[in-house]
Amino acid sequence: MNVAWTLLWKDLATEWRSRDRVVAMIVFSFLVVVVFQFAWPPMEPAEMRRFAPGVLWVTYVFAAVIGLGRTFAMELENDAMTALSLAPGTRGWIFLGKATATWVLITLVQAMTAFVFALFFRVELWTGIAGSALIVALANVSICSVGTLLSAMSVRSRFRDVLLPVLLIPTLIPVLTAAVQGSVATFAGEAPPFDALQLLIVIGGVYLILCFLLFDFVLDE
Amino acid sequence: MSRVLLEGAGLEKRFGRVTALRGVDFEIAGGESVSILGANGAGKSTLLRILAGLSRPSRGEFRVLRDGATKPLTRDELRGEIGYVGHATLVYGELTALENLVFAARLHGRAPDRDRLVLLLAEVGLLDVADRRAGTFSRGMAQRLSIARSIVHDPRVLLLDEPFTGLDETSAERLSTQLASLRADGRTLILVTHDPRRAIELSDRALVLHRGEIRARPARIEGAAREDGSGSAGANGDAPAFELDALRALLTRLAEDGRTEDAA
Repeated sequence: MNVAWTLLWKDLATEWRSRDRVVAMIVFSFLVVVVFQFAWPPMEPAEMRRFAPGVLWVTYVFAAVIGLGRTFAMELENDAMTALSLAPGTRGWIFLGKATATWVLITLVQAMTAFVFALFFRVELWTGIAGSALIVALANVSICSVGTLLSAMSVRSRFRDVLLPVLLIPTLIPVLTAAVQGSVATFAGEAPPFDALQLLIVIGGVYLILCFLLFDFVLDE
Repeated sequence: MSRVLLEGAGLEKRFGRVTALRGVDFEIAGGESVSILGANGAGKSTLLRILAGLSRPSRGEFRVLRDGATKPLTRDELRGEIGYVGHATLVYGELTALENLVFAARLHGRAPDRDRLVLLLAEVGLLDVADRRAGTFSRGMAQRLSIARSIVHDPRVLLLDEPFTGLDETSAERLSTQLASLRADGRTLILVTHDPRRAIELSDRALVLHRGEIRARPARIEGAAREDGSGSAGANGDAPAFELDALRALLTRLAEDGRTEDAA
């Protein structure tokens, strides 16, 4: 467990000093929101609340892919990946530390994106803020679990920039379906539907445990 | 410091159709210092990565035993006994020198003892820059930090993959002195190099690899070799002497053999 905390501390400290992942994700997210805003046809607020979550989740997922792509790429500098591979003990803790750090960064970027999105699209976010936050937090467990594992698997490949989204996005389809369904409800000021929450919890738990166990094999050559 | 024995029997490593190692046998006793010599592509780094537990052999057996034990260490236990220094420094440029050592200690399940880490930094001559980010270090400073990082968990075996790459003469000499001091502590040192001078300086014997096979096992013979003024001699039969000219001649001959094989 200490190894997970150590990795979390290291990743957040290096990100705080370099800010390369967060800045790239924020710039991308804001640009997508701006572009969508220009392309968006005029519509009634109720209609807007039905479509907006889809746009927001597309932005979230592609921004997350950018962040996840760097999760292990930063370990290739000075071959720090070898140092991680040489750590004794269960390597799943390394996965957990990296996934948690990515979860923190992605969630931070999503919060800022939601704020900008609300300004541009004139969507009232505050009414269902708790439910929205819960959905984002749960969906991010799946995104960061699978994303961290796939990032480690693809990092040494020549095609890593292509491989990561191609492998990641299909595995997230059930998560995104539940997240969008839940967000539609929270944007309308309702509580998130129980079946969407249930799905996010179950898939998140399964992905987290599976990725924790599989990570041991990923670091081996 | 208790010791470990490293044994390899019939090791083979394949990457697709390419065979990087074939039929490699060796035994390295605790406290020994052994160099793995050979040209580029001879299989030196591949062998070292198997020794580090970073890679599994495609065939053959590699095992590590503690003093007096009959049961070999698991790969997980092995990782705890290994310190690794590569061409790359394995440190994070955004962290300070001290933070890099704290991170390495915690990664190996050790509580970071600040006094010990400061002592380690002093030993490698980096105490003045303990709070400076490693990304601002020169290549020599970063490599010294890498040495400190590799021994932060007090490993019994130190694996060094071309640690002198990119160092100027002064930094290389300083590194060589530090490695000699680690060897004097009773650690097992396994040095991958293509430079026979460094091999002789830091090792008791060498394994000379050529195209994935061990072609020679020159070793220093204490005492007798010194008496005739040659410094050292081959350990077995027709093995070349463990001295600079003989090793250089051997490596040149192997390189020529390689060119002839390629031409044929």
